[in-house]
Amino acid sequence: MQPEKFYYDNKIVRNFGIATVIWGIIGMLVGLIIAIQLYRPEMNMGNQYTTFGRVRPLHTNAVIFAFVGNAIFMGVYYSLQRLMKARMFSDTLSKLHFWGWQLIIVSAVVTLPLGITTSHEYAELEWPIDILITIVWVIFGINMFGTIIKRRERHIYVAVWFYIATFVTVAVLHIVNSIELPVSFTKSYMVFAGVQDALVQWWYGHNAVAFFLTTPYLGMMYYFLPKMANRPIYSYKLSILHFWALIFIYIWAGPHHLLYTTLPAWAQSLGVVFSVMLIAPSWGGMINGLLTLRGAWDKVRDDVTLKFMVVGLTAYGMATFEGPMLSLKQVNAIGHFTDWIIAHVHVGALGWNGFLTFAILYWLIPRIYKTELYSKKLASFHFWIGTLGILFYAIPMYWSGFTQGLMWKEFTPEGMLKYPNFLETTMRIIPMYVMRSIGGALYLTGVFVMAYNLYKTAAQGKLVPDEAAEAMPLERLDTHAAAEKWHRKLERKPVLFLIASLIVILIGTFVELMPTLTISSNVPTIASVKPYTPLELQGRDIYIREGCVNCHSQQIRPFRSETERYGEYSKAGEFVYDHPFLWGSKRTGPDLQREGGKYGDSWHYNHLMDPRLMSPGSIMPNYDWLIKQKLDTTTTATKIRAMQKLGVPYPAGYDRQANHDLDVQAKSIADNLARDHIKVKSNKEIIAVIAYLQRLGTDIKANKTANN
Amino acid sequence: MKLKRYILAMFLAVGAVPAFAEGNDGLLSGETMNYIGYGTIVAMLLLFIGVMLVLLRTFKTLTRILLGPEDLKEAEEEKLAAKSQRKATRGNLVNKLMSLRPMSEEGSLIMEGEYDGIKELNNPTPAWFMVLFYVTIAFGVGYLLVYHVFKSAPLQYEEYRNDMAAAAKEKAAMLAKSANLVDENTVKLTTDPAVLANGKSVFTTRCAPCHGDHGQGVVGPNLTDDYWLHGNTIKDVFKTIEYGVPSKGMPTWESQLTPVQISDVANYVKSIHGTNPANPKEPQGTKMTEAGPAAPAPKTAMKIK
Repeated sequence: MQPEKFYYDNKIVRNFGIATVIWGIIGMLVGLIIAIQLYRPEMNMGNQYTTFGRVRPLHTNAVIFAFVGNAIFMGVYYSLQRLMKARMFSDTLSKLHFWGWQLIIVSAVVTLPLGITTSHEYAELEWPIDILITIVWVIFGINMFGTIIKRRERHIYVAVWFYIATFVTVAVLHIVNSIELPVSFTKSYMVFAGVQDALVQWWYGHNAVAFFLTTPYLGMMYYFLPKMANRPIYSYKLSILHFWALIFIYIWAGPHHLLYTTLPAWAQSLGVVFSVMLIAPSWGGMINGLLTLRGAWDKVRDDVTLKFMVVGLTAYGMATFEGPMLSLKQVNAIGHFTDWIIAHVHVGALGWNGFLTFAILYWLIPRIYKTELYSKKLASFHFWIGTLGILFYAIPMYWSGFTQGLMWKEFTPEGMLKYPNFLETTMRIIPMYVMRSIGGALYLTGVFVMAYNLYKTAAQGKLVPDEAAEAMPLERLDTHAAAEKWHRKLERKPVLFLIASLIVILIGTFVELMPTLTISSNVPTIASVKPYTPLELQGRDIYIREGCVNCHSQQIRPFRSETERYGEYSKAGEFVYDHPFLWGSKRTGPDLQREGGKYGDSWHYNHLMDPRLMSPGSIMPNYDWLIKQKLDTTTTATKIRAMQKLGVPYPAGYDRQANHDLDVQAKSIADNLARDHIKVKSNKEIIAVIAYLQRLGTDIKANKTANN
Repeated sequence: MKLKRYILAMFLAVGAVPAFAEGNDGLLSGETMNYIGYGTIVAMLLLFIGVMLVLLRTFKTLTRILLGPEDLKEAEEEKLAAKSQRKATRGNLVNKLMSLRPMSEEGSLIMEGEYDGIKELNNPTPAWFMVLFYVTIAFGVGYLLVYHVFKSAPLQYEEYRNDMAAAAKEKAAMLAKSANLVDENTVKLTTDPAVLANGKSVFTTRCAPCHGDHGQGVVGPNLTDDYWLHGNTIKDVFKTIEYGVPSKGMPTWESQLTPVQISDVANYVKSIHGTNPANPKEPQGTKMTEAGPAAPAPKTAMKIK
């Protein structure tokens, strides 16, 4: 039999590489801008489209799906072809995949600043883009599986196991978390509400970390690290064990984002224990990587790509140890809602994803351009400034997280909160915010240096768009199959492998999601909780549009320090009409679940216009455009009908009456403001926002006032 | 000897810090004192380590001088031998825990087949790794048993109730023995300058955003005129501050201010009556004189629209 000649497609790898660098710079730049906004709110340039609440999702989406996403495709398209000894299945699909993915990112860049968002973290994009994502992901899947099917290598290597698990799990996550009812082309409501929506979202959110930021990168680590170090993978047995353990256990861990919330206790505890059990499987990847370098440590000293890999793997090890610790409820009670979490994710993102991406770029670009890296010195500079950047980023954030988390909980001997004024705790950590932005700037500087270095490298070489290779075609297998162990057998049956990983990730999914989504006793209802009035509903949608949830939670945990500060702790039944839930995950500002009635309408008006009028020193941006912009009431009827479809008990035919009720309520708020000499027309957006804020948490609020 | 003196001096300095703090309450805040305290402790510990190192060095030199060159050589050789043996056993232990095979055996571990030039070794999973995995699984099972089967540890709502009960008990005990026990029935009108100064500082940080820095009224009503929405006696003012009037935008302060603070700020509010600040807000409520009824103002006065 003759070896077959074929060509690897390097052009698609190069294209994804360029996209990685460009989107990386954009995403990190946006991150730096919002980091500065946290101590200089005026850095929003007085513009609603560049204000924190709208741009923070742009940062997260850009770095996760644009930077890391393109890097995944770059790494997969390079390594898969070589591991399968075959060109990608279809050049057309490769191109469709590339341009489709860039189109998704561009639509995110356009829609997020416009305030078009579902408010689900890391899944903010609205339903038409969700459909586009599904299509592009399927294209990627067909292209990947087509390549695997026409492979010239009998067994599939561990890197490809991770790629397969990534593909199938992300598909499941994306589809389930995007079950939404369109209201218009740019607006939809989540089908699930309150606790159920929260559970689905964090099952998704946590596993986006697992199957978008972790498994594809482990796969790439398994290909690129042994290539760079020219060493064999340390343990095949460890690969098998940690692969299956990782994907099985990861999917259960989502509820650790919802500890001490109204999520049923059993689901919370499952989240805790599976998070703790994740330590070993996560570390399996790290030690298999680091031990692969056994006998090659002398190379690490000279080779900057290996340095990036080692720090990346170490950061991964740190983050995956810290994660389970943060999942213990006693630790979570302090860390949750603070900058500790920001530090945690950035150790993972900057260290693991960032550094691995840089290592792969430095290794791969010279190879496909058939040249040497332009400057090793610059790459080394990038390594050091990047490491420094991570430290300068993470340490202030840890400090800030501990400080604020403890201040929130501190009582005086008289039994009063020591810092009853939330703002006091914010002011204390502002120096940390300044330091953090310096760390981010250092890291970004490194990326600029890399971009220049890679550009120079490409300029001095010449791209080999189609790299020649040859391999023996696969023969039919019928003789020595019996002697194989079960896993070896599985490794030459990719479709079976796909099904097996799907089953493994569906077990945790079903056990955790199904009872909460179907058994009503898991969400006890409360008779006094009523649907939002039309004006409040519109106000809520503006709250969503402005991304208030990025800084304000709506979930009071059953702690003395929280009920003293915010009022009665949250009940599951209070959220049954919340499509989507708005519990939030970070308290840059105070919780708003019981904001209703705490202050007067005019306080809110002045506070939204310029927060510093009512809270000197506040870092919240001005929302003065809410005063100028007219509330769009043409959507009210459709929104009411959509809510009815989702089971919100508005009376039949209420959609026709809704705008009348809306006007009446708006007028009463405008009159109320007029009494305090605030002249504003009742048809402005701010009226709706005030109506919503004044409703928050009042359904079950005990009215202990001087009046009664 | 000199060192000893320094250490003694440092101890004295540390000892003096709390005494200093008690004597000069106004000069340095408690927090600054804490920082100084921690700094001193850390400095002391560092100094202690330093001294120990110096002593160690001294002993070494002393031994060398006392032993003489012959014995010294012998002692050093003994030490070296012991060290290399320790190293060997430690190396074995590490290798065992890590399940590491010597690099020379690697050839026999290489598995059949390669992927784009990548080979795999047939190393076992490290022993410590398996132990870690089993321990976390045992922890998981134990956790579920403790919280959900034996229910021997409190889940979040029980934990909350326990915490609140303990806090209520503590608070009652604290209030009983301190002068903090003031409520709307026992609050007294006073013109004590210390009380008014405390009240003013609370007013400036908490009340001024809504009522103006001179009580002239902004979003909230003017507090200096003769018109009152919720009564003008010290008891009424105390009550309004304590419970708030959420329907009109006055927050509840009972969880943010201590009873004494509320009493101080209520007295301060009473003290600024009639000061006629600039830019006063127009009157709200009913006109009341100081001789007005001591009982809460009539209901109609509160329903002013």
